[in-house]
Amino acid sequence: MKADESSTYQAFVGTLKRDLLIAFKRKNEIANPFIFFLIVAALFPIGITPDPVRLAEIAAGVLWISALLASLLAMDNLYSADFEDGSLEQLLLSHHPLYFLVLAKNIGHWLVSGLPVVLISPLIAYMLNFPRESYMVLFITLLMGTPILSLLGSIGVALTVGLGGRGLVLAVITLPMSVPVLITGTLAIQETGNSAPLVGYLAILGAMLVGSLSLAPLASAVALRISVN
Amino acid sequence: MWLWFAKLGSPRWFYEVSGRWLPWLSGAMLLFMSVGAVWALLFLPPDYQQSFTTRILVVHVAVAGTSLAFFPLMAVAGTITLVWKMKLADMVAKNAAPLGAWFSLVTLATGSLWGSVMWGTWWEWTDARLVSMLFQFFLLLSVIALRSAIEDSEKAAKACALLSIVGCINTVIIKYSVEWWNVLHQPSSPINMSNDSANGPEFWLVTGVMIVAVYLFLTVSLILTTRNEILERERRSRWVKDIIS
Repeated sequence: MKADESSTYQAFVGTLKRDLLIAFKRKNEIANPFIFFLIVAALFPIGITPDPVRLAEIAAGVLWISALLASLLAMDNLYSADFEDGSLEQLLLSHHPLYFLVLAKNIGHWLVSGLPVVLISPLIAYMLNFPRESYMVLFITLLMGTPILSLLGSIGVALTVGLGGRGLVLAVITLPMSVPVLITGTLAIQETGNSAPLVGYLAILGAMLVGSLSLAPLASAVALRISVN
Repeated sequence: MWLWFAKLGSPRWFYEVSGRWLPWLSGAMLLFMSVGAVWALLFLPPDYQQSFTTRILVVHVAVAGTSLAFFPLMAVAGTITLVWKMKLADMVAKNAAPLGAWFSLVTLATGSLWGSVMWGTWWEWTDARLVSMLFQFFLLLSVIALRSAIEDSEKAAKACALLSIVGCINTVIIKYSVEWWNVLHQPSSPINMSNDSANGPEFWLVTGVMIVAVYLFLTVSLILTTRNEILERERRSRWVKDIIS
């Protein structure tokens, strides 16, 4: 049998391309988190108040929490389809470091589930009478924050893959872990006018992003090896 | 040294040794607990500012301090489970999670009781320690939830070990981020009031007794539950059958 001579980089790109291709074949799965985000954000004004002044006060929190919930719901199909058709086991058996394959899957998943939410957020922000000067900060913090949420969520998904009724366990595991991201994101938005603390919070968010990019796939990989054996 | 380590991993060895230690530990716990409780709740003189509410604090401080030990304990046990596949470490970790959740809950409850008198409110989002304790409680609940969701006990052990390690790192990050959050919101939060600088040495002495008592309680409870766990998991082995019959 001929040895597999592909490099790790090729495996990384291959996994990423495959996941994107599958995602674009099933367009409704891309659309669902996105639609969910829209609906949740629209429920807050109905549940709390239609008053634009009070909406403006809570808009940052509403957007962040809606993004968090959308990311949580989208996480569920990160590994489950692959687990069911057996391709996840193929990934585990591959001689490439699982770390990079998991990272590729995470990036691919964020591109189709996280990025659309980030892109639509200014529109929702407008509907919530979000303070005009903070749009840029909102966009940047969501752009940096949603990948962290995906990377953290990936650990929870990897731990619960293959379990029946995993949805709630996944939420119970993932939501408390997202607190630091939520705090930093909303704090940065509040500090829009003041450049010194703003840069500080963005730096902290960046540090969290780098930290989770380098460490979370490691934990996810270990978790996958535990769950699939 | 490795021999000692391997011995420690044997449930049977642990069962026998802990059985010998248990009377001493429980005796010491009862002694410290009764001295601390009677002293704190009946004889501790009222503070000139806080009156008798410091008596709640004696229990609160002791339990709160101890509850912080659970995640490091579970993370160390988890590492041992993942690296050396030692069954005993998982048995301890499994029982530590619910116990830790109880300690966190008692910390929150006694803190609320004290706060309701001294701060005039049962809950205060501006106090970083309340909020981070709440999330420590949630994270411990998530470890319990994961354990109960996985049927295969070996898989559950490894999964919970990993989650404990991640959770341990996360509690530290949550603690600091909640502190930043509060510095911004309300610098002069009631935190200052609970720095018990006004309390005399007697308060700290009785709190010290109570901390020792609570740590002993933690140790005794963990040993008891772990012994139960050993009997349950090893129920098919000969030495357990000899004990039971």
